[in-house]
Amino acid sequence: MPSSLFEKVWNRHEVLNRGQASLLYIDRHLVHEVTSPQAFDGLRLSGRKVRRPDLTFATLDHNVPTENQLDIREPMSRRQVEVMRANCKEFGVTLYDIGSGRQGIVHVIGPELGLTLPGLTIVCGDSHTSTHGAFGSLAFGIGTSEVEHVLATQTLWQGSKPKALGVEVTGRLAPGLEPKDIILAVIRELGTGGGTGYVIEYFGEAIRALSMEGRMTICNMSIEGGARAGLIAPDDVTFEYLASGNRPFSPKGKAFDHAVADWKTLTTDDPSAFDRLVTIDASKIVPQVTWGTNPAMTVDVTGRIPEPEHVPFASKEDARRALDYMGLTPGTPITEVAVDVVFIGSCTNGRIEDLRTAARVFQGRKVAPTVRALIVPGSEEVREQAIAEGLDRVFIDAGAEWRQAGCSMCLAMNPDKLTPGQRSASTSNRNFEGRQGPGGRTHLVSPAMAAAAAVAGHFTDVRELLPAH
Amino acid sequence: MDAFVTHRGKVAVLDWSDVNTDLIIPARYLTRVERTGYGTLLFADKRYVADGSPSAENPLQHGDLAPDFPINRGEFRDATILLVGKNFGCGSSREHAVWAVAQAGFRVVIAPGLGEGFADIFEGNSFNNGLLPIELPDDSWKRLVDQLRAGGEMTIDLQNKTVTSHAPGSPEQTFAFEVPEENRQRLLKGLDFIAETLLEEPAINAYEKNAPAWAAAIG
Repeated sequence: MPSSLFEKVWNRHEVLNRGQASLLYIDRHLVHEVTSPQAFDGLRLSGRKVRRPDLTFATLDHNVPTENQLDIREPMSRRQVEVMRANCKEFGVTLYDIGSGRQGIVHVIGPELGLTLPGLTIVCGDSHTSTHGAFGSLAFGIGTSEVEHVLATQTLWQGSKPKALGVEVTGRLAPGLEPKDIILAVIRELGTGGGTGYVIEYFGEAIRALSMEGRMTICNMSIEGGARAGLIAPDDVTFEYLASGNRPFSPKGKAFDHAVADWKTLTTDDPSAFDRLVTIDASKIVPQVTWGTNPAMTVDVTGRIPEPEHVPFASKEDARRALDYMGLTPGTPITEVAVDVVFIGSCTNGRIEDLRTAARVFQGRKVAPTVRALIVPGSEEVREQAIAEGLDRVFIDAGAEWRQAGCSMCLAMNPDKLTPGQRSASTSNRNFEGRQGPGGRTHLVSPAMAAAAAVAGHFTDVRELLPAH
Repeated sequence: MDAFVTHRGKVAVLDWSDVNTDLIIPARYLTRVERTGYGTLLFADKRYVADGSPSAENPLQHGDLAPDFPINRGEFRDATILLVGKNFGCGSSREHAVWAVAQAGFRVVIAPGLGEGFADIFEGNSFNNGLLPIELPDDSWKRLVDQLRAGGEMTIDLQNKTVTSHAPGSPEQTFAFEVPEENRQRLLKGLDFIAETLLEEPAINAYEKNAPAWAAAIG
C-alpha cells in the first residue's frame, strides 16, 4: 500500500498505538507567553517537571509592542511576559527574549534557528504551528491542556489518524502573484471547514518553484482551511535553507549528510495514498482579496463584492451578517474599496522575502495621505537583514512605519490595532470580526497587494504597478 | 476533571456557521494568566450592549446584555446545552474559548455534520476540559433546533450515547451519537490524562533511546 508523507512521519512517531488513539512522540515544543502560563501552573500544582527542557523553546511575540519592544505599558501584558520569563527560569527552558537578537514570532524563529527540520513532530499552543510543515515536518497547534501534557511527557495522545488531503498546484504563478494568492485560492476552493479532519500535503510544479519562505506562507494558512497541519515534501530547496544562514540547531557535517539521506525518503509514494485530491492551476490565479469575515470569502482583484445568496459555503444569513459587518454593498468592484490601514507582517508574511516584495512596490512611491502603513518584521533577524539590504530606507522614504518584531496587528493583543470601523489591507491570516481590534474590518492580501493598496489608498491590481516584463 | 455520565439541562440555540474562537473570546482577554474567570468573557463583543464588554482585569464588571444576541434570549437563560452551527470553534487554538464556554455554564455543545461540526483543535480542547462536543447528522440537528428554538431541555446520556429533547407540547426526540471511545472513557471516569500517560513512561524511554541522532536539538 502506498503511503503519504504525512503517514510516514506519523508512523515514525507512534510510541503506542491503541487502535482508537495513538501516543505520538513530540520532537520540538515551541512555547509563547499567551497559551503557556496555565500549563506551567498545572505542572507546579501537581509537582511535575518539564521532561525534556532541551526540546522545549520559548519566545515572546503576541504581547510585544512593536514601536518599542521594551516599553510594555499594558499591565496585564507586562505580567504575562514576566510570567513567561519566570516559568522558563524555573523549569529550565531556553527563552529567546526581547533584544536577544533571535526573538520574534514563534513560527518565524523556529525555522531561522534550525529547530524546524524535515520528519520531526512539532507542536505549539498556536494554530499557525502548521507553518513548520513547509519543511516536511508534522506540525500542528494544540490547546493549553495539551501544552501541559507535552511539557510533562514529551508526547501527545491523538485520536484516530487524520486523513490525507493532497492539494496539487500545477503550472506557474504569473508575475505579481505570490504564495499568499495560492493559499487564498486554495481556501476559497475548500471552504474554511473543508480540511477538517485532514492533514494537507501541497505538491506540484508551482509548489516546487517556491522558496522556503513561500512554502511557509502556504502551510501557515492550512488551518484557515480547517486542516490542523499542512506539509510539503523536503527537497534541495529545503536542504539548502537548512545548510545556509545562522541556524545553530540544524545538524552539521556528517550528521547533516545522514539527515539528508533520511529526509530524502520523506515523500508520498503515489497520489493514490491521498484520501482526497484537489487540483488548482497556479497559472490561472489572479491577485486575491478577501471581502468577508472568514478567509474563504474571497474575490479576484478584478471582481466585485458578491450578493449574499451567491457566497459559497455560507448561508444567506451568514453572508449578510458578513457584508453588514464589513460595511460593503454587493456589486461594488473591490478596487473601489478604500483602506485606512495597511499591515505587512505576521507569521504568514513577515519574512525577508515578503519585505523585499513589498519594498519593490514601495520603491519610488509614497503611501497615500489617507493611509497608515505598518511594516513589521517577523523577527529580530528579519529586521536586521532588512536593514542590511536597505529595505528600511525604502519603507521610511515611502512614508510607512518601520517597526520592531512581533505579532503586531495580526491580532489585537498589543498596542497595534484597528479602531472601530477602520478598514485594513493585511498580510496576516484571519479576517474574523474584531480580529485586528473591536469593530475593525480586515481584508487579507499578499504583501505586494498590501503595498499597492497603501500607495493607491484603495485595493488595486498590483500587476499594473510592476514594470513590464 | 469532573466525570460526565448523564446530564439534563436547558438548551440555547446559536445556529451561526463558522463561529471562530476570536468571536468566542477576543484576543485581548488572552493576557490573563489564570485558568478561571472566563465565563463572562464568552462572546464578549456580541453579548453585551455597545461599550459593555468587560475588561481583562475585571471580567465581572460588564454592561447590560445585548437583547438581539441569540443566547441572551429569556428562554435560553441558565442553559447548559448549546446548539451551534457547523465548524464551531474554527481559527485559533486558544483553549480560552473552551474555558469561556464551560465557565459560562455549558456542559455540552451540539453541532451539525459528522466530522465537520467542530474544528479539530476546539473539539480536542473540549474533551480535555469535560465539555462534551457532540456531532449529529444535519437532519437530526435541524429537527432539534426547530423543536428547541423557543426553549426547552435535553438529556445527554454519555453511557448510552443518546441525546433526548424535552420541549413543552411536542413529543420527545431521541438520537444516537458517536464520540471517540478513548475520550468517552476519560469523560465517564473524569481521568487526569497526564497521570495516565506517565504510566507509559517505559515506552516513552524506549522510544527516546531509538530516536535518530539528528533529531536531537543540539545548538
